[in-house]
Amino acid sequence: MTEQTNILEVKDFSVNYGYGEASVRAVSDVSFTLGTSRVLGVAGESGSGKSTLVYGLTRLLRAPGVISSGDVILNIPGPDGVRSFDMLAATEEEIRSVRWTNISIVLQSALSALNPLRRIGREFDEVFRTHDKSLSKDDRKARAIELLAMVGLDANRLDRFPHELSGGQRQRVMIAMALALRPELVIMDEPTTALDVVTQREIVSELYELRKQLGFAMIFITHDLSLLVELADEIMVMYAGHIVERAVATELYNAPRHPYTLGLMNSFPPLHGQREVMTGIPGSPPDLKALPTGCTFSPRCPYAMDICREKVPPQLPLDNGTRLVACWLHEPSVGAAVPVELSKKFVSNAGGAQ
Amino acid sequence: MRMLLRRLGVYAFTAWVTITVNFILPHLMPGDPIQQLIAKLTGRVTPEEIRAIKEQFGAGLDQPLYLQYLHYWGHLLQGQLGTSISLSAPVAQVLGSQIWWTIGLIGIAAVLSFVIGTFLGVVFGWTRGSRFDSVIPLATFLQSVPYYFLGTILIMAFAVHFHFFPLQNAYDQYLSPGFNTTYIWSLFRHSQLPILSIVLSSLAGWMLGMRNMMITTVAEDFVLMAVAKGLPRRRVIFHAARNAILPSVANFALAIGLLVSGSLLVEQIFNYPGVGNLLVQAVGNEDYPLLQGIFLLITFTVLGANFLADLLYYLLDPRTRTATAH
Repeated sequence: MTEQTNILEVKDFSVNYGYGEASVRAVSDVSFTLGTSRVLGVAGESGSGKSTLVYGLTRLLRAPGVISSGDVILNIPGPDGVRSFDMLAATEEEIRSVRWTNISIVLQSALSALNPLRRIGREFDEVFRTHDKSLSKDDRKARAIELLAMVGLDANRLDRFPHELSGGQRQRVMIAMALALRPELVIMDEPTTALDVVTQREIVSELYELRKQLGFAMIFITHDLSLLVELADEIMVMYAGHIVERAVATELYNAPRHPYTLGLMNSFPPLHGQREVMTGIPGSPPDLKALPTGCTFSPRCPYAMDICREKVPPQLPLDNGTRLVACWLHEPSVGAAVPVELSKKFVSNAGGAQ
Repeated sequence: MRMLLRRLGVYAFTAWVTITVNFILPHLMPGDPIQQLIAKLTGRVTPEEIRAIKEQFGAGLDQPLYLQYLHYWGHLLQGQLGTSISLSAPVAQVLGSQIWWTIGLIGIAAVLSFVIGTFLGVVFGWTRGSRFDSVIPLATFLQSVPYYFLGTILIMAFAVHFHFFPLQNAYDQYLSPGFNTTYIWSLFRHSQLPILSIVLSSLAGWMLGMRNMMITTVAEDFVLMAVAKGLPRRRVIFHAARNAILPSVANFALAIGLLVSGSLLVEQIFNYPGVGNLLVQAVGNEDYPLLQGIFLLITFTVLGANFLADLLYYLLDPRTRTATAH
């Protein structure tokens, strides 16, 4: 095969909250593809639409969230070749057949994602019972123990209630559960945000190992870019529901081309290297009800020009098409002088000294 | 486990306080109600009964108060609650025969309304925002109608006007109680309207409570996870309902405690036998021993129900079990 198969293909995907005049656009015309066994990182501040995007893709949006346009195709490999599954056209019953079997999800807070009244074992049991009726009770238990061992947890955790486990253990349980049916795609919605830094590191390296071993594709959502660069093949940065920059992980990290990406990187201490002063991004995320005209980031952008406040920037392919940036600075016809920290050659300090 | 024992201790203490107050109260009343009572009854009851009354109150035995108190306890532990003045029968026996009417009628009605109300609450909670929401104003209306009003209207409409149901009593007064189909059918027919009235007036409360909890629970992540895991819809609803029902179960246990005192209106309106009716009679006849017995019964059902609520919570919610382990 010359062409790599894609597990997920998303085209012009938009999500609104509410209907009609009062509706607010939380995700705007997002398109991307995710290759089999690849990792896509999605970064952005709170309210940037990154979680709404994945809940929309998986049809898990709660009211008043509405998918207003787009195509989402899941390519499910099977014994008789790849089957294209239209996520948005499928009925609830059809969707149920791909849930957990092909797509699973891990949420930010494992404490609230586990039913507080149930032992861990019962949650595993339910997953197997629902999707694989052929398994006997002992088989199901053996599988659950195997999965727990994969994330470094003892079999006796099966008899525990969620509140009897630590935060890290709970998140490991969730990860083990997400892998229970060997899905082709696992979605991680800020799985490490609620954990302390040490546990974060452990879980990220475990995920890295598990992925090498099992080869599932992953969409990893976080606001921590430094975490993504270790896990992700590609990173997509979102702002106010738009993709502002998309590039190969290391390239995006080493040389951000969009002012927002740069700001996001300066908000987090680098994992390696010296301590430095965090600058952050001045201002706060925009109110989706009253988005500025032109580039949504322009009011907070230190490089904003007149055109930025008037016209929405197109997604410009840069670096031989390996990168997409929605910023007027990079449009040759505008003739703006690209600041040195956003130019191609520049190697960011934040990602530097490795 | 330790938590349960501690709770049990609290209840034991409360029970002791109640019993003691029950003993002291007649002694504190102005003008010695006991002597008044005895004077009023002289000639109408046997001297032996008068002696029993005195003993029950611990009065007239010329003993110091603490000895009277001990006597009172001794009788209580033997199940002797004294003798009813108006009925000339041991209070324990009177209560023992009448309480079954109350348990039968109010108990069945309470269980029915809890089960139906909770089920509707689950359904309406899950389908929130749909056209089913139009039942909410009706439910709120039913909940706010005073019971005596609802009961009277039902009698006027369905018993007096349409003759769908018998007007009053627990069974046809021409029948003698016995284990035969005519009597049982009569019992059944007579219980329908009272049960309907109770269910109608309390159903809405269970329904609204369960619906609200359901709406809160459905917004929880673990319900979203249940959907994401591809569970069938009824399993997802079950996940939510099992968690949402906790407060309702505890409230139901507490409602059982109010069963005896709550029977008062029902039994009055439908002229139905039971503890509530007995209480009204006892007040009318100034039957202190009977009143005291009923008060004790009410206190103990409330305490028992509270303990039951604790026990249920302990069994249903694992988080309460470990709360004391640390």
